Amino acid sequence: MIKCQACDREQQPRLLCAQCGAPLGAGLDLFAALGLPRKLTIDPARLEQTYHDLGRRIHPDRFASKSVRLRDASLRATALLTRAYRTLRDPVSRGLYWLELNGHKLADNNKSVPADLAEMVFEVQEQLADLRVARDGSGGEAERLRGAVDERRTELHRMIEGGSRELVQNFARWDAHGGANGAGRDALVMELKLVLSKIAYLRTLIRDIDRELDSAQAA
Amino acid sequence: MAYSEKVIEHYTNPRNVGSFAKGEDNVGTGVVGAPECGDVMKLQLKINPENGVIEDAKFKTFGCGSAIASSSYVTELVKGKHIEEAMTIKNTVIVKELNLPPVKIHCSVLAEDAIKAAITDWKSHQTPASAQEPRKAQES
Ligand code: FES
Repeated sequence: MIKCQACDREQQPRLLCAQCGAPLGAGLDLFAALGLPRKLTIDPARLEQTYHDLGRRIHPDRFASKSVRLRDASLRATALLTRAYRTLRDPVSRGLYWLELNGHKLADNNKSVPADLAEMVFEVQEQLADLRVARDGSGGEAERLRGAVDERRTELHRMIEGGSRELVQNFARWDAHGGANGAGRDALVMELKLVLSKIAYLRTLIRDIDRELDSAQAA
Repeated sequence: MAYSEKVIEHYTNPRNVGSFAKGEDNVGTGVVGAPECGDVMKLQLKINPENGVIEDAKFKTFGCGSAIASSSYVTELVKGKHIEEAMTIKNTVIVKELNLPPVKIHCSVLAEDAIKAAITDWKSHQTPASAQEPRKAQES
């Protein structure tokens, strides 16, 4: 329980006081900040709505003529709300935050890269290295390589979409599971880590491709 | 981010970049990744099956400069070492040598893990009688 500084009302931790509407916000996790249940599946429309709704009610403009303490509280609550919204909006960062919230580290016991993915990473990186060399030479070869890398990029984006679908399924399993400790939970943690890692490797590779193709265009 | 001189040195002039030819004997390959940043590293060790000594090393790492420098450095570090000794190499040695800042420590962990993965891979290809315990074999 926490106590509202403005009206003294005791209540469960939440972003703003249930009685007088003063901003609170201390000690909240990001789900609680948005008044959402601790579930991984989040309806994006509801998230938007809640964010804007709460944002209006704790907006610093509303407290401009109030005490310093309330003005401060409003600023802090707004910052927390924004962080909660940004983190939970994107399923990948939501999943990463979930791990953190449950005391897990993504990299723990999770260093091996699936063989087919690793092979793809090295192949594409070779292509990028070739492209860097070819760019300084005559046009035809660079053109061909650029096309090949561009195709890879499309493929990688498709793989990320696949990864995102796996993520959604994993979220649903978590929500159905109810959070009890045990083998089922450990398996969900590992599965979540693997999907998030796969997406991380794919994103890094796409970032490198983007860089190379953009600089190739500029050259 | 300001890189240390040694990182820049390894980065601009990396040692032992490349791969051993496919199917070459006595090569152990370790592929590891850092899921926090999505970087992937490959380290290959050529190990003498008679005495378990690492004779040559090659690496392929892309992206992060600290990971490239870390892997370049460990290829030099492990050469001439017995595999059991190489297994004990800690990332802190790399951090110290390259002067890595805290946010780049995971890059050195990647290199440490790559050594272990490569040796484990090599061992899995050996027959127990040959190189797994070379010292004992010599004694008997
Ligand atoms: S930043 Fe990830 S390996 Fe260096």
